[in-house]
Amino acid sequence: MDIDMLLDVLFFRGALLAYLISTLTYIFALLIRRVSPARAATWILTGAFGLHTLFFLGAWLGKGYNPFLRIHDILSFFAWVMAGVYLAFQLRTKTRVLGAFVSPVVFLLMIISSIGIGGPLNVPEVLKGGLVTIHAMLSVIGEALFTVASLAGLVYMLQDGLIKRRKSSMFMKLFPSLQDLDRINHFCLLWGVPLLTLGVLAGSIWARTVWGSHWQWDPKQIWTLAAWLIYAVLLHQRLAIGWKGHKTALLSVAAFVLLLAALLVEKSFFTTIHRFY
Amino acid sequence: MNLILIGMNHKTAPVEIRERLSIACTEGFNPLEEIKAIPGVGEALYLSTCNRVEILARTREERTDTEERLKALIFRHGNLGEEDMARCLYVYRDSAAIRHLFRVAASLDSLIMGEPQILGQVKEAYRLAVDHQAAGIILNKLLHRTFRVAKRVRTETGIASHAVSVGYAAVELAKKIFGTLKGKKVLIIGAGEMSELAARHLIKHGGDRIFVANRTHERAIRMAEDFQGVPVDFDHLGDSLREVDIVISSTGAPGYILTYDMIAAVLKRRKNRLLFLIDIAVPRDIDPRAGDIDNVYLYNMDNLQDIADDNMQIRKGEAEKGELIVAAEADSYIEWFNTLAVVPTIVSLKEKAAGIIRAELERSNGWLRNLQEEDREGVEILANAIVNKILHDPMTCLKEESQEGSALAYVAAIRRLFRLEEPGGGE
Repeated sequence: MDIDMLLDVLFFRGALLAYLISTLTYIFALLIRRVSPARAATWILTGAFGLHTLFFLGAWLGKGYNPFLRIHDILSFFAWVMAGVYLAFQLRTKTRVLGAFVSPVVFLLMIISSIGIGGPLNVPEVLKGGLVTIHAMLSVIGEALFTVASLAGLVYMLQDGLIKRRKSSMFMKLFPSLQDLDRINHFCLLWGVPLLTLGVLAGSIWARTVWGSHWQWDPKQIWTLAAWLIYAVLLHQRLAIGWKGHKTALLSVAAFVLLLAALLVEKSFFTTIHRFY
Repeated sequence: MNLILIGMNHKTAPVEIRERLSIACTEGFNPLEEIKAIPGVGEALYLSTCNRVEILARTREERTDTEERLKALIFRHGNLGEEDMARCLYVYRDSAAIRHLFRVAASLDSLIMGEPQILGQVKEAYRLAVDHQAAGIILNKLLHRTFRVAKRVRTETGIASHAVSVGYAAVELAKKIFGTLKGKKVLIIGAGEMSELAARHLIKHGGDRIFVANRTHERAIRMAEDFQGVPVDFDHLGDSLREVDIVISSTGAPGYILTYDMIAAVLKRRKNRLLFLIDIAVPRDIDPRAGDIDNVYLYNMDNLQDIADDNMQIRKGEAEKGELIVAAEADSYIEWFNTLAVVPTIVSLKEKAAGIIRAELERSNGWLRNLQEEDREGVEILANAIVNKILHDPMTCLKEESQEGSALAYVAAIRRLFRLEEPGGGE
């Protein structure tokens, strides 16, 4: 079996399948409202993440491949960061059932990514600079952190509602504690904002050398700036004003929905010079 | 099978009778030795808790009066009229006894269904039986199976996973808000029995810094000493509210001690840190509208009681699943027990030996083929003869013991030594 086959079939498809099984197991845990399948799902997710990591390592060492050039690879990397961030939190705080919300998103990203995974590498010369790689990597990590922050916010909203309802509930038992979810939201914003800032800066420096100016009023650029602005404001409110809990969770979710909608609109109605991502 | 279980529990006996029996055994009686001394008793287990007394014994077939003698022993210990006590006793035999033991250990038969102590008490009873050499092959196996069943019911159903007391409900809520109670600060408003009870629950689960406020400051000081806490000023509750995470209020005040405005204002000053308010006073101490404030979670006595009641209902539903597990496990234990008969054991021993001979001959087929036809037959005859000679004495012994009715231990040993255990019925 040559290395391409090995990477693609064993690691990538393996990871994809494991993400699917993990997602289904999480859904099963929610359906029967018991934590034990979620425990299994977390291990499966860990396995999927391991395979996914091997895929990146193998592709990088074996073919010197750069996962930050094509949209499909970037989506796969996005999924990998999300899974990794979640699992790191899981180690520390046992926020197990949050995985039921992270895992489906990861799987979805992987599915979209898998559609183009075997395609030829027809990357224009202009994108093969180190600065582009840094720009893409930092931006993706930042945005993946925002996604996890928003998912933690979503679960926070659900749990908050359950506790305020003052009724006995299996879901309340299942979901992580408010404090843990709030901490995840806090941490993800704390790291996501500076990383995206650096990513955007790297991008704009590179844009100046290629397109002649830092800023083109490109839909993609506007969208990214909006995302950065919203999350930066959120982080500011957290750190400076002391926003916590319900309000930050609500705004994280709102920001995410808004940005997702904007992204879809942008993709369907506008053309962009930033067409690789 | 000859298992007999005689006992009484909270459903069959009033507390006056139950307490007589448990007093009887704490006063230095050693019922196990006495039970063992009853003719016809082979093995015995004695379980006594606040809510139940149970004697489980394996009896020998030839005695028919063992049940009466066991009952007489209970009557003697209870020091009560026979008629009074006989009404409270239940007697289970064989499979019913097994099922009852499983149900007891799995906490399906408890006063508070799903309570965790009973399994420990059964384990302790078994340890005593082992110490007194009252547990033999059958009880050993049965009790180990019992522990497994109890564990299965506990992990596979939600019978134990819902707080059914107000105190535990509050602790569970606190954990769902704060993750852990470690290092959390608790403010108690109103020194009294109720608040003390609630505080002890929280402390037991990690809440370690206690503040006490009371209208008469001296009582606050006294109660704070009990909890190694800090007394705080009743007239400046706002300052304390800034610091703490959990508030338990149970004053006798006619109006609200903590108003909406007070809490809303304090939340800003505490930078919106989550606040869990527990109002166990009647009339209420905390304005119920405070529960609408972001990051404030307010529960009153009725809310907590409702949750505990709901959880009890959930436990009852889960108990039905537990009963299914118990029934299946009891069946599988009985199946194992039935294999302990002598004849099937001899049959399976012979089958196993024949199987081994067949397999070994087949394995040696390579060089056996080189032999003459009759030499080959000779080898087979020799192999069979050796195996039969080896098995002859054990099988004769089994048959002899079964005449005397004491083959159980031998059968069990042989089944184990030769790995004749049925799949699924084993350890």
